[in-house]
Amino acid sequence: MRVAAVLFLTLYLLRALVAEANSALSGLHVWLFAGGLFVGYSALMVPFSQGFAASVLGGLLCDSVAPVPFGTHAALFGTAHAAVYNLRERLQRDETLVRVVVVLLLNMALFLALSLLRIRHVPAGATVWPRLLSDLVWSQAAVAAAAPWFFALQLRSLELGRAVPSRSA
Amino acid sequence: MTLGLALAVWLVAPLALRTFTRASFFEMTAPVAATASYVGDLQRFWALRLHSREALIEAGRDQARLDASYALSVQRSAALEAEVSRLEALLRMPAPDHFRLEHARVAERDFSGWWQRMVIRKGADFGIPVGAPVVFSGGVVGRVSEVHAYTSVVQLISDPGLRIAAVVEGDTRPISYQGAENQVFGPARGVIEFVPLDVYANASEPKLLATSGLGGVYPAGLTIGRIVHVESSEDGLFRTGEVELDPRLAELTEVTVLVPSNPG
Repeated sequence: MRVAAVLFLTLYLLRALVAEANSALSGLHVWLFAGGLFVGYSALMVPFSQGFAASVLGGLLCDSVAPVPFGTHAALFGTAHAAVYNLRERLQRDETLVRVVVVLLLNMALFLALSLLRIRHVPAGATVWPRLLSDLVWSQAAVAAAAPWFFALQLRSLELGRAVPSRSA
Repeated sequence: MTLGLALAVWLVAPLALRTFTRASFFEMTAPVAATASYVGDLQRFWALRLHSREALIEAGRDQARLDASYALSVQRSAALEAEVSRLEALLRMPAPDHFRLEHARVAERDFSGWWQRMVIRKGADFGIPVGAPVVFSGGVVGRVSEVHAYTSVVQLISDPGLRIAAVVEGDTRPISYQGAENQVFGPARGVIEFVPLDVYANASEPKLLATSGLGGVYPAGLTIGRIVHVESSEDGLFRTGEVELDPRLAELTEVTVLVPSNPG
């Protein structure tokens, strides 16, 4: 489980950075969501069981700091992980651009799924969509900018932890 | 298969296990938030050290003037409290709730379109209870929704999940306030329901909304926001409206938790 542990550490760092960014941006009424980054690399490059464990643990980390039923992010990340894993042999997953596009699509899907789960808690729910769409646009821009760096960080961390999985795994 | 198995295990897991796991994961994230907050404080401290001596003397003089006016207010407040106590004793009214003031630094703000929360740097170590009201100089901030070892989570009044019994300035009839819309590039808003038909307000003549004291969580008279719009509800029996909240809520760095002196 060394791969899962190393990937979880990188996800822990990612959550801390996203939380700091959101804290700093609160005055501008902008909120960033980076769910796609929690799943992308694990689903595309890592054997299923270890990548799945990392994604679910990352989801539990997000659940612990959000007012949602515990396990919501974990279930969404786990489902997204399984979906991308089943598609990954059809993708040029060594290309950074392909990985970034997959992460952006994942991020958008996870954001919309979470929005649909939360919208019933908002009075006059329709009025909240402009804010949600604005957050989604900013989140996609931030994820696109950070994804190549984060993939490199995850790869280097796996190398440092001597846990780089083989391609055949 | 693995996904289905994981979901099944989670669904049958006992509540205690889920609660324990959640608390464990939260405590795992807390040191980062607290450390970043301390680093921010240190950064501000060194930034202040760079101010010129003249600026510090000027700030000290302004502070002395403020202290003098606050000292007068404290004396007046003490006299009024004594008068209130005397009248309560005469009328044999039950003693009002008393609160211990616990000031806390804000470690992290999490203001999404779905929820509005902040993490403060005091928790069970300072006896903060779940449900305690949180205030700042502009009025109500929210209430404590989770307490951890040395941090607490505050649910803001702009959070759609928070409801408060409120009154309009100069009126005693209770109405219901709920956090609602968090706009793009604008202050958060709330909604009010069950507003009496004779209450009017608009953006040019807003009315102040304050806590009613009903419900036993918030003391009466704390500012919630300004009513900027009211209209008749669908049934015509009451009115509904919009409340504009203090824009400073989005940038708070320090808040005060009102800890009940006699909880329960």
